[in-house]
Amino acid sequence: MTTFNKISQAIVDSDPGQAISLVETAMGNDTPAVDILNKGLLAGMEIVGEKMESEEMFIPEVLMSANAMSQCVDVLKPHLSEEDTGQTKKVVIGTVQGDLHDIGKNLVSMLMESAGMEIYDLGVDVPPDAFVEKISEIKPEIVGISALLTTTMPAMQQTVEAISEAGLREQVKIMVGGAPVTQGFCDEIGADVFAPDANAAAKMAKAL
Amino acid sequence: MQLKGLQGGLYRPLSPEQIETIHDAALTILEQTGMGYENGLEATVEMLEDHGAEVDHKSRRIKFPRHIIEQAIVKAPSQVILCGRQPEHDLDLREDKVHLGTGGAAIKIIDLETKELRATTLEDLYEVSRVVDQLANIHFLVRPCIPTDLKKEDYDINMFYACLKATQKHVMSGVNDEEGLRRVIDLAAMIAGGKDKLAERPFISFITSIAISPLKLCTQSTLIMQEANRNRIPVAISSAPMAGSTSPVTMAGTLAQLHAEELAGIAICQLTTPGAPVLYGGIPGLVNLASMGYAGGPVEFGMMNAAAHQLADHINIPNYNSAGLADSKEPDAQAAWEKSLTLILAAMAGSNYIHHSAGMLESMLTIAHEQFVMDDEIIGNCCRVLKGIEVDAEHLALEVIESVGPGGNYMSSPHTMAHMRREYFQGNGVTNRKSRDRWEKDGGLDAREKAREIAKKLIANRETAYIDPDTDRAIRDKYTIHLKEEK
Repeated sequence: MTTFNKISQAIVDSDPGQAISLVETAMGNDTPAVDILNKGLLAGMEIVGEKMESEEMFIPEVLMSANAMSQCVDVLKPHLSEEDTGQTKKVVIGTVQGDLHDIGKNLVSMLMESAGMEIYDLGVDVPPDAFVEKISEIKPEIVGISALLTTTMPAMQQTVEAISEAGLREQVKIMVGGAPVTQGFCDEIGADVFAPDANAAAKMAKAL
Repeated sequence: MQLKGLQGGLYRPLSPEQIETIHDAALTILEQTGMGYENGLEATVEMLEDHGAEVDHKSRRIKFPRHIIEQAIVKAPSQVILCGRQPEHDLDLREDKVHLGTGGAAIKIIDLETKELRATTLEDLYEVSRVVDQLANIHFLVRPCIPTDLKKEDYDINMFYACLKATQKHVMSGVNDEEGLRRVIDLAAMIAGGKDKLAERPFISFITSIAISPLKLCTQSTLIMQEANRNRIPVAISSAPMAGSTSPVTMAGTLAQLHAEELAGIAICQLTTPGAPVLYGGIPGLVNLASMGYAGGPVEFGMMNAAAHQLADHINIPNYNSAGLADSKEPDAQAAWEKSLTLILAAMAGSNYIHHSAGMLESMLTIAHEQFVMDDEIIGNCCRVLKGIEVDAEHLALEVIESVGPGGNYMSSPHTMAHMRREYFQGNGVTNRKSRDRWEKDGGLDAREKAREIAKKLIANRETAYIDPDTDRAIRDKYTIHLKEEK
């Protein structure tokens, strides 16, 4: 097994200690940081994504893998140039007004973060205006809106409308998700992307 | 065969020592960790402080010394009667007496005609409620779906109106806010013929999901609960943690946290209005660990909901819990085993008010007419189990055995005639026990198709006007009612 494969494996095994020690050894052997990132860590997270989709891995394991990934990135960071990492995508995310549920939303944030995106999490019960304000300030590429309750879904529409009214609609892609949300609902309220689960959300955000 | 309010207590997953241990753990949680709260709950927090709770206003944490909880919960009544519009539909909730009915806030329905999945409407709510009204083994109606064709402001009054017009069974639902609660109480009072009459025979009640697990009070729901308490309308204090995401992954840990949330809720309720009718509403659930989505179909869901009844019974308060949810997307074999297993466990435990027990699919997101029919059959069978085997002279039938003698048969004995319809469960017609030949001649319908046929028949039956025309007019003059008037 190559060093990169071993690092990938440590990520898949949700083993932060092993991953960091492998990354440090590789750095000591003058392996370029950008290769460790791409061929080791990100390659590992890709496998994690697949295993998550096939339900071989449980979410707590995926979170531990993401955590291992981010610890390793911290070690690598001083050695990475902006060119290495490319331009970071910014995401503003939150749970809609009236809804206090945030597990799914947090999961999406974590997976997007481990896929290299910059997350601005507005928390729960976020009024449409708060989304608008943050979008104006941060100028993100993506806005993620979450709802769990069937009764708070209308607030998703109000949020999309508020973003349009503020004249910001063209600047961002709006992603919606949450247990009751469907592709049909996404189309109906004029959002751009429906993510059926957290892994899909991270994948789709990366591709946008 | 009367299958409502039968005695459970046949399945007890927790031993008396285990119940004590969990109860004590819950008190420790409330004492050490406490409950969080948010803006808007200042008056409630002040009330708790006056009664000796320790409140950290900065971190917004309420810690409950044991005696506060212990003194408050004993004020809760050990019996709650949820009325139907007629006394025959009353539910006497106490001890191990079992009642089962619908539940949920589904947003999708499998269309009865096309079998396509679509959004639920107010008309659907009315129609499935009429089906529930006619299915004998479903004892009450908790609003099973959301009228997604209405504006949110119109939800509360229209949901209750549609349910109360469709059935004379007890109707329970959540409401969006205190204003919605007041309007619904007013609506029900108009139907009852006055607020006093409604308080005398409360044929509506409310679900208030006051705990956001883990251990946080929901401001809106707490205020709604307190308003209902003051009006003496029964409330189910719902808390529904999911093992592995909003409560510990272990069953014992989930039950301890859930019990703590319930104890806090009941204490708030009883400090608001001592003696207010309340149901212990712990619904221990699970997550699908591969997605963090809700899982209501696992057998452990049945085990834990059975245990939740034991915990409620331990503090002598009737309980509201869940069973019969399915994670299956379609009315199929998986749905049947998920429902049967969780329902039989929750019923055998003696759960007093088991909701979600009919019609639900896809982890509470979807309903189907035919599923209500099939679940009516499962519920009936579960209740039959509770009825047990009667052993007395009449049922032993020694005289009959003597008179028929060796080599005879019992087909034409009067004893057979007298008992055959009472001794065995008589279903709604969805279960098929015909010969293959006969079954094929009848169209060879499988259970789902047969259930669709039955549902269509029930819908085609004449509508019963459960709201009289004068009252109906008065309601429509006062409120914006979207359900079509009778043609």
